[in-house]
Amino acid sequence: MPRSVGFKYLFEKRPELKIAIFAGKGGLGKTTSSAALSYKLSSMGKRVLCFSTDPQASLSDIFEKDLFGKGEIEISKNLYVLEIDADKRIKEYVDSIRQKIKDMYKIEEIPREVEDYIESAVAEPAMYESAVYDAMLDVVSQNKYDFYVFDMPPFGHGIRMVAMADILSKWVDKITEARRQAYEYEKVASRLKREKYTEREDQLLKELESIRDRIVGFSRLITDPKGTAFTMVLIPEKMAIVDTEKALKMFEELGLRMSGVVVNQVYPPAILEDPRAPEYLKKRVEAQKPFLREIYEKFENLILAIIPMLRREPRGLEMIEAVAKELWESTITLDDLEAISKR
Amino acid sequence: MKEKMYIEYLFMLMTIGDMMGIPLLPPYYTLRLLPYMVPNIKGWKLRMLRERDFTDIVTG
Repeated sequence: MPRSVGFKYLFEKRPELKIAIFAGKGGLGKTTSSAALSYKLSSMGKRVLCFSTDPQASLSDIFEKDLFGKGEIEISKNLYVLEIDADKRIKEYVDSIRQKIKDMYKIEEIPREVEDYIESAVAEPAMYESAVYDAMLDVVSQNKYDFYVFDMPPFGHGIRMVAMADILSKWVDKITEARRQAYEYEKVASRLKREKYTEREDQLLKELESIRDRIVGFSRLITDPKGTAFTMVLIPEKMAIVDTEKALKMFEELGLRMSGVVVNQVYPPAILEDPRAPEYLKKRVEAQKPFLREIYEKFENLILAIIPMLRREPRGLEMIEAVAKELWESTITLDDLEAISKR
Repeated sequence: MKEKMYIEYLFMLMTIGDMMGIPLLPPYYTLRLLPYMVPNIKGWKLRMLRERDFTDIVTG
């Protein structure tokens, strides 16, 4: 029996899965994998939402339709795609904060110190990340779909946020506690002013708790051992292998489990046997060998799927269907990889 | 009264401390707290700067 891989086996083992996350550097096939898995699951009758943010290697290109910032769009039966415009989202969010300040203090202009603060906050790269994660949590909380596939933005490994979420939730707990203590003193200290004052304090406490809930909610969303499969996509190249190892180590340190890896852009070893295959292609197969060996030795038990190098760019439903087939049940088996690594 | 004030400042430091170069909460979420902090912002910033000067004197 050949040792076959594919998402089919993952879903057989984990029937409660509701979320799949694809992480890894840009250009390795995250968006393609996300689209392919979404397509496959939707064709099996599940209502699927495929979520992406990246305007570069985009779902718009793959599905050959302008989806960016357009909301949830139905591509084919049961397959919905959401490509969020994070910058627009941030702008709307910040405007709502400005409006809240104006309403609260009945002022026309935002004080300069406050405006300075807002502008420096918006300029932070973390702002973009947070906005994306917030959007992810939003779609999952709405619970409109049977399955969610997330194409993680290509920064910070997508894992840093797990660590961040954990630390942050602790911080917010601390802040909430400090605020509560301040509130207790307030009660004793200023009975006269109390009524008007505490109303705002209560709102603030609620706001803090809601922030904590978002952070904890997000952390649960992506680390849920039952419902979520966190997957990294890599290709047979040194840098991708190193990155995946680093990510695995980070996962371990956080006490989390990565569901596995997808090995993309693998030249089928049969090319070497084919007398009609051009020489340059054979050279490429040879060049991949040491990296495939390394992948096999380091990640053998983690490999979820092996996707062969495609003849052309993965665009359009037809190509996505081809990738989906390989992702679901890979033609290249673990035995093939082992054979390569022994050669 | 004084103790209460310190807790207030601690809270301010934790939430919008990144104004002083000590980011603790992601700015996306501190922005949600900003409206409540508006009256405190100016005085708080001055106080923090004063305390930093004091530390400089002691350690320097």
